[in-house]
Order: sequence, then C-alpha cells, then structure tokens
Amino acid sequence: MPPFKDEHILIIAPGSQTTLAQLGLPESFTPASHRFPTRMFPAPDGKTYEPYKIRSRKKEPVINGADVEMGGTGEPKEGDDQELVELPEDDEGAIYPLKEGRIDNMPAFFAFLHHVHNTLSPTLHTPIMLIAQPSWTAKNHEDITAFVFEKFKTPALCIMDSALATSYAFGIANSTIIDVGYEKIDVTAVTDFQISGRGTVPHSGGEAMTKRLVNLLKSKNFTREMAEQLKRSPICEILPPGTPLPGTDAKEEVISNPAAAASTGATSSGPSVRITEPPQIPILDEVADDDEAFDDKQIEDDGVLDVASIVTSGKIQEVLARREKEKAEKEKLKAARKEKRDAEKAEAAAAAARPARLPNSKRPRAIFHYEEIIKDAPDAKRQKTPEPVPAMAANGETAVTGESKPVDAAPAVPEAAPAPVEDEAARREQQKAARKEERRRNREDENPERIRRDIEIGTERFLAADEAYLDAVADTIYRTILSVDDISKRQDAWDALVICGLGSKVRGFKEALLTTLNNRYLVSPSSATMFMSELPSNLATPSGTGSQTPNASFSSTPHAPPTASAVNPLLLAATTASNPALNPNLSVTSYSGTHSHSSHSQSPTSIKVASPPSYFPEWKQYEEAVFLGSQVAAKVIFVVDQGLSKGFLSRVEFNEEGPTAIHQVGLVY
Amino acid sequence: MAAQTFNSSMQPTDVYGGDEVSAIVLDPGYSSIRAGFAGEDAPKSFVNSHYGLNSQARLVFGDDAIHNPSAGLEIRNPMSKEGIVEDWDTATSLWEYAITSRLTSFKQADPRTNGMNDDNKDLEMQMEVVEGEEKALEEHPLLMTETAWNTTKNREKSIEIAMESWGCPAFWLARNSVMAAFGAGRATALVVDVGASTASVIGIHDGLILKKSVQKSNLGGNWLSSQLRSLFASQDPPLELIPHYMIASKTPVDAGAPPQAVYRKYEKDPSDSFRALEEERVLTEFKESVVQVWSGPGRLNSMNATGSNNLDYARSQPGRVFEFPDGANQMWGVERFTVAEGMWDEKAALPVPNEAPGTKMTIPEMVRASISAVDMDLRAHLLQNIVVTGGTTLVNGFTDRLNNELMAMYPGARIKIQAAGLTAERRFGSWIGGSILGSLGTFHQMWISKAEYQEFGASVVEKRCK
Repeated sequence: MPPFKDEHILIIAPGSQTTLAQLGLPESFTPASHRFPTRMFPAPDGKTYEPYKIRSRKKEPVINGADVEMGGTGEPKEGDDQELVELPEDDEGAIYPLKEGRIDNMPAFFAFLHHVHNTLSPTLHTPIMLIAQPSWTAKNHEDITAFVFEKFKTPALCIMDSALATSYAFGIANSTIIDVGYEKIDVTAVTDFQISGRGTVPHSGGEAMTKRLVNLLKSKNFTREMAEQLKRSPICEILPPGTPLPGTDAKEEVISNPAAAASTGATSSGPSVRITEPPQIPILDEVADDDEAFDDKQIEDDGVLDVASIVTSGKIQEVLARREKEKAEKEKLKAARKEKRDAEKAEAAAAAARPARLPNSKRPRAIFHYEEIIKDAPDAKRQKTPEPVPAMAANGETAVTGESKPVDAAPAVPEAAPAPVEDEAARREQQKAARKEERRRNREDENPERIRRDIEIGTERFLAADEAYLDAVADTIYRTILSVDDISKRQDAWDALVICGLGSKVRGFKEALLTTLNNRYLVSPSSATMFMSELPSNLATPSGTGSQTPNASFSSTPHAPPTASAVNPLLLAATTASNPALNPNLSVTSYSGTHSHSSHSQSPTSIKVASPPSYFPEWKQYEEAVFLGSQVAAKVIFVVDQGLSKGFLSRVEFNEEGPTAIHQVGLVY
Repeated sequence: MAAQTFNSSMQPTDVYGGDEVSAIVLDPGYSSIRAGFAGEDAPKSFVNSHYGLNSQARLVFGDDAIHNPSAGLEIRNPMSKEGIVEDWDTATSLWEYAITSRLTSFKQADPRTNGMNDDNKDLEMQMEVVEGEEKALEEHPLLMTETAWNTTKNREKSIEIAMESWGCPAFWLARNSVMAAFGAGRATALVVDVGASTASVIGIHDGLILKKSVQKSNLGGNWLSSQLRSLFASQDPPLELIPHYMIASKTPVDAGAPPQAVYRKYEKDPSDSFRALEEERVLTEFKESVVQVWSGPGRLNSMNATGSNNLDYARSQPGRVFEFPDGANQMWGVERFTVAEGMWDEKAALPVPNEAPGTKMTIPEMVRASISAVDMDLRAHLLQNIVVTGGTTLVNGFTDRLNNELMAMYPGARIKIQAAGLTAERRFGSWIGGSILGSLGTFHQMWISKAEYQEFGASVVEKRCK
C-alpha cells in the first residue's frame, strides 16, 4: 500500500446539528472547510434520503440565469407538469440522524455520510478519519465500519472518539473534555490519551438553554428562533451562581476590582469565589463577530461549495462567478463581517468605547435586536422579483411586541449610547444594508426577507442556564473524573478542563461552570496538614498551597501563576529532613505501605482550564477544537505512523476480520 | 461435567456462529452491572445497579440520569442484599439498558440485515423487523454470571429472559467466583471476593465450585459504609454527612471547625433513598482516600513483637485529611484503621444495629471455614492460589492483611495471593474471566443453544451450568 498523503485524507466530524468535513490536511491546520447541516430529508420514493428538502411543484418555464438552484444530486424525476425542486434552505420535515449524539436513524445517517462523501468527492486512495460521538455504541462503530468500507471503497478507516480528538488538539495527555453540544453535554475524562471515564448530561446543551429562554419569555411571545438569536447575542449571559440579578437586589457587595468584577458580574458571590478576570470587552467582540461558526443556519453562506450539485446542475460558470464575487466581497468586507449582528456589535463597540458604562450584567434590561426572516408561502417561494424590504416588513408573519423595524431603518442604539457610537453603528448599518442587498440578489431562489425588531429583555436573559443546569453539569464532571480508576491521575484531569462545543459559547457559561465547580468541589488544603505535608500526594499539584487556592484559575489567559503564599510542602520536607521531630510525617519508620500508598488523596485541589495550543495561527476559537484534533490525529495516524501502531483499520484487515476489527485499532501509547 | 473442563484438546465440531459474532458477557452485581463483548479486556458498559423511579412511575437508569436531585427520584436496587436478583422486571430492563446503551442497539436499523431475507413475503418480513426491534441480542450469545448461592428459580428465570425476551441464540450461566478465578488465570483457586453487598470465600476446583466451601457474609462495601456512618456519628460533635447536591458553595474552614457552606434549596426535598445514594458517593470517596486496613502482623488491638500495642503504633502513623462536601475537614488518624478492622476481627467492629458480624463472618474465619470444608488433598493447592477480587478489596492494605492473617493461621503452608494490580482488573475480575471464557474456541461447544432450550425448557440450565 503506498503511503497516504496529506492532501488525500478525508475527515468527517458529525455532530447532532452540524457536521464538519474537510478533504486534505493543509500545511497549517485550519478550521473545517465544509460545514454540513446534519440532516436528511425523505426522498419522494419514501425509502431513500436526500440532502435537501424536495418538493414537487408546478413546472415553470425556466427563467434564464436566475435559477441558481443548488440541486441536481437528487436526479429530479420529471412528472407531466410537476417537477421536483430542492430547497436547500428549507428544513421542514428534516430528519436529524443524530439525537443527543446517539445515532437515532442509521439509514439516514448512512445516507448523510454518503452525501458528505460525494460532496467532497475524494480520490480512491483516501483514508477516512471519522470522529465518533461518545455515545455511539460498539455496534454503531461496526455498522459504520462495514458501511464505509463497502460503499466508499476506502483503503483505511479510523474512527476516533470526539473527546479524544479534542485532547489531541490540546496535546494534553490527561484532561477532561466537556463538550457542550446541541442537546447534550458529554463529559469525558482522558488519561494518557485514553478514555477513562464518561458521563453525559442528557437534555442539556445549547438547545436546553434556548428552550428555557422560550419558556421564560413566553409572555413576550418568543418563538424558538427568537430565543435562539437571543441566546447567541451578547446580552444573553450566564452569571456565576450567587450573583444577584441586576435590579432585583439592592445590596451590592464591596467590589475590590470594579473593572474585573463588573465585567463578569462576579462580586464576591461566594466567600471562596473570586474570579479575577480581565475585562470581557474583547471577548464580547469576538462573540459578536464569529457568528459564522456559531450560526448553523448560515451554513450555506459560509463557503460550502456543493461541487457535485453545481456540476450536475450545469451552471458551473454562473455559480463560480457568483462565488468569486462573494469571495471578493468577503475579502473586502472582512472587517465588516461582523455586521450580521451589527447592532450587537455596535453595542459591543459602545461598551469598548466607554468601559465606564454599566456592563450588560448590571443592567436590568437590555435591547435585543431580533432579525426575522420572513418567508413567503413555499409555493410562491421562487418568485423572482425581490420586493422592497419595507413592504415585506409590513407583511411579516409575526408582529409581536413593539414596533418592527425594516432593515434599512436607522439603527437602534441603546438609549444611552453617545453620538460617536451611533455614527459607527450607522455606518455599519449601511454596510450591512449594502451587503444584505447583495446577498439577496445572490440568493434569489430563497428570497429571504429579513426584518429587525428591537425587543427589550429583562433579567430573563441571564437565566438561560439556571443553577440546576450548572449543578447537573458540574456533578457529571465530578462523577466522571472520580470514575477514573487511577486515583493519581484524577488531579491531572481536574487541572486540564477543556470546555468546548458550540453551546459553550454562550456568554459567561464557562465562567459560571467553573465557579460552580470551584464552589462545590474544590478541596482546600486543610489547616491540619499545613505542617504535616501530605507530601507525596501533593507532588503532582504543588500549586495547591495556602488558604487562597487558585480560585481565579480561570481567566482568558489560563494558567494563572500559582499563588505561593503558604508553606510549600516540598520546602518543609527539605528543611525538616534533618530534624525528624519537626516533621512527624518523616519520622520513625517507613513501615508497611502507609507511605507508599500516598497517592490516595482527595481531588480536586485545584481546577484549571487547559490552555489551547498557540501554534495554530488559523485557530482563534477553540470551540471546535475537535476538528483541529482530528487533523492532528489524522496526520499522526495516517501520515506519520502509517499504520505501524495499528492506528487505523485497513481494507485488507477489514476483509479478513470483518467490522469487529474496528475495536482492535486505535493508537495506544 | 468433567468433560467440560477447559483444557479439553478436542476441537469443537459444531462451532456456533463463527468468530465474527462475539458473545456478550453480563456480570450484574449489587452496586454495578458490567457488560461487554467477550474477548475484550474491560467491559464497555459499566452501569450503576441503582435505578430511579420518578414521580410519573417511570424508571430511569444509569449514572447520567439518577443523580439529578430535582427529578424527584426514588432510588432502588433490583438486587437483594445477597447479590441475587429480587425484582426481575426491573433487573431485565436495567440489564437491557446496560447492553443497549453502549454495546448494541435495539433497532436493527441496518438495512443489510433486512435485505437478507428477501424471499419472504412482505408481511413476514415486517414481522421479522418488528421482532428484531424488540430483541436486542438476536445476534449475540449471552454469558451471564451469578453468585454461588443463586436459587434454582432465579437461574431458570435468567435463561428465560435471555431466550424469550432477548432472543439470544445461545446462553450460559457462570458462577462469578469461577469467572474471577479464570480472570486470574486459575482453574483451581480459593476466591476471596469482597463486593458491595457481600463478602465471600469460595473454593474452586477445575472450574467447578466446591459447594461445601461456600462461605459468605455481609462484610462488604456496604457494611464498611455503615461502619463509617457509625464512626461519623461517634465523633464529637457528631459529624453529619452532607452529600454534594445539598451544597451550593463551601468555604475553607480550619480542621475540625464547623462547616460554613451555602446550602442549596430545593422546592421539594429529594427522597431519602436519593440522599442515601448520594451519601454513598461521599463514602466511596472516603474509602478511596482515607480508609486503611491495618496490614498486620497481628490484629489492630493485639500486641506486636516488641510488646507494644499495634493500636498505639497506628496512632503514631500520619493521618489523612478528608474534606466533606460541606467543607468540614479533619484529620483521620487511627480511626481510618479501626473502621475496617471489623472485617478481620469481629470484636473490633463499631456498633451498628443488626450488623454486628458473627464470629464466623470475618474474612479470616471464612477462609478457615472454607479451607477446612474441602478435601485435605486440595487445601495446599487452594492456599497457593488465593484470588482476591471485588471492589472493596481495593481498600488500602487489604491484601497485606489477608496475607498476614493467613500466614498466622496456616504456619508452614505456602500461601500465595493473586491480586490484580490494576484497579479495573480487581473490580471487574469476574467480568474479565467471563470475557476470557466466552472467547475461548473450546467454549463454543458448551453454550446452551436456543434449540436445546426449546427442547428441554428452562430446567436445562440446572443440568448444564453446574
């Protein structure tokens, strides 16, 4: 078998909502080139599945160039005067093959894999790296193995657990991966790059937060879509437990560091909680600006080039030209890429400009700019004349509270915003309007009409994840790490928490989770051992000294320097070695194992977030670190190792041993 | 059944199924259920035996679901205190969960399996599919373990479930102590198995249990837990065990100082059984990090060679600190030895109502009783092959103490203790033995096939699986 090359490796990382895929490893690893919505639609024949919604409608004379339907893979079956059209944007009736990570509908999932594979159309000499969700059963792995080898004729397959892939991305042998997904949160303890503990929080993840917002805002007629947008907006924030909601509590505790405290909303909420953190404004900026990665619904815009369908639809020139244009535009408007949520952006900018202003977490109410897409009735969907926006705004389906504003209208800036910000916002608004116009022209087949409404939201926006939610996650993390057999490795796992998954992007989530963990589980060095030195057990974690354990271990630059305040046990041991009377621990005798078993000790003595690797310039956000890790792993397994360590299952082995052989492979260090 | 020993050189004539279908090994216990494919080195599925019953009378299984304090769960366990099944309906669902959550799916969603019977009529095909959805294990033979004191009725029930409810093509019921011996690579051994609900000592010869040698008592992990509770209650002031779910945040306090924690409030207090389950988690952590068995020689309360009391010596040993969920922490000195001493010396047990160990119930006494119940010729052999298994044996110093006790009890005899070093191997000893057995080529002829079951009924298990 000739060696595998970087450019041939196909990586597929399925998620419940979005699947990341890429063909070939770039020189420097990049975020996934392709993002697919993980959904399929029943085909008209009722047995198979199609990647896009297919509808039959009255045949129309094809209007020249305007028809840029991305279809084609679905080999439209022509009726007399009916034809089948694919509606790439429509998700009505969609089948999501993965539910909470589990494979809920295997045939649909196979069809989906097929669709991804076709879209990327790899060569025959393409090894496949498939990232598995932790909840997939052994049988799932076998079925997928059989399917991949039989259908894709691939020379080699590696199925890798997503948590393991994430640990590869971070390059940390012992870690705890907390993957906040769509409807679940998976917690996986990894020791020595092996999975040693698993837990799941069912009915959680990002969707649970959305649902909760919908519930809370029922009185305001919030729809799911509205809640989803609210959740993604920077005004939605999860406050560390114990923080009083603004407006509900008059008594403010004395804040020693106003900037830090204000930015997180953490006053000294719990006696042991002191999150010291740099002001969050830059982070907020980022949140506003990377909606691409966050917004699954925008996938079609984000560079997914459905080659197969373009080719089959025979409009290569046109599509290419269009894409060129889009690309150019993207370049040009790189800075203005954020403008999809420009108002929030403006708000962020405002916050940046005036740090003195009350942060989001202190304001009882905030304005939320809801962007609504109004679709015409499906049958009229393909009408070719984009109407002026204001008209559309008028016939919006849901006129809820307040006035609905057309897109081109003046931007809604929070009342208190000063003039310069308003200007900037206005400028952005214009840019946005321009681009919107552009995009609308580009996507005539869909003809989405967007309107924006400003909705004032009260403190509900801080309640997307309540205490019970955070408790459940924290408890699962605790339970998972405690299920690691090797007691001495547990502390290492606590010291390298990786909170990933798109759901974790909700503002304040990570901080709130860490605060919860610290509040509930952190074991403080006891005054009883201060001079006793539990020396061997603390060896792994010399930072856990003193009464002020690193509560502030989470900051945007993790690995805060260990606080060296109290007696260092190593120092104590060294200084008292010659005088046993001072240190009872070293006294008398070394009889029978009482010392040798010292690895037994409680964990966690410190809780830290792992710092992401800094040597991947393309990676700014590590929510999708799983894809980075899968590239690292693919490189190691397929290119560097070439199968010496049985990192993957080759076609030959599959033919000899069948699908169960997949359990025998995988890198083991 | 001597023909069924595993050193048989005879090749099986009718191999079941072929190698590509691996058997599923199911090892249910009081605290957890281990399930996985034969031939693998660790069970893929590890499920808490406790299950939750929520207010709508729905059952929830698995650690991911039962630790939710706001779900109003009533926590139960289908196993009896002796480690045998009491509630069959729930046990069946629980085992199904253990198998389907990680091993194999209920739904035969794979279209290839449907396409295999293409000659059938549509109706039949549909029925087949429906059946396939109901029966999780149609493809896999099932190897289940049981305790040595399992009842005939229970054994027959096991095969009924495997064959009728799950549609297994083949079944075998193995004694967990025998499996533990196999897991340690022995066909003849004295198995000392200390689990959650029971501690047992059982002599095994050539893969068969020596019935007379079966000794069991309740001095297992749960008993140790109640010793701990008794210890906490005897502290001054009494130490209240507060599980994690009741704490919102804790504050570091000095050792021995009263805790200062912010408590979590619930609209409806979780049930007592839920609290007990959560308390048990704290106790488990305590056992892992603090409890130590006095490793001997001699008992904790006896004099040692130099004439001083072992207890005094233990007192001089450095203590260990444990911080409770509410932040209370203190140094545990000699208490961490005394709390486990009752397993070895019934007089040293802390007073717990109804749980005082009898004179014959301590581990050394069980070994003595077990050894003296077997044939004279076998005794030396057994003493050279003592297999220690079960999660509670992981308590620090357990094997050292066992060794010292046996050396004192049988001076001159060669005593060799086989205790797996890896935590997982010790906890999953009997599952691993099952995994080895299930993957042996020579074992294939031993399975009770579906045809046999249909011919002889459930009683076949009594005839075949001795």
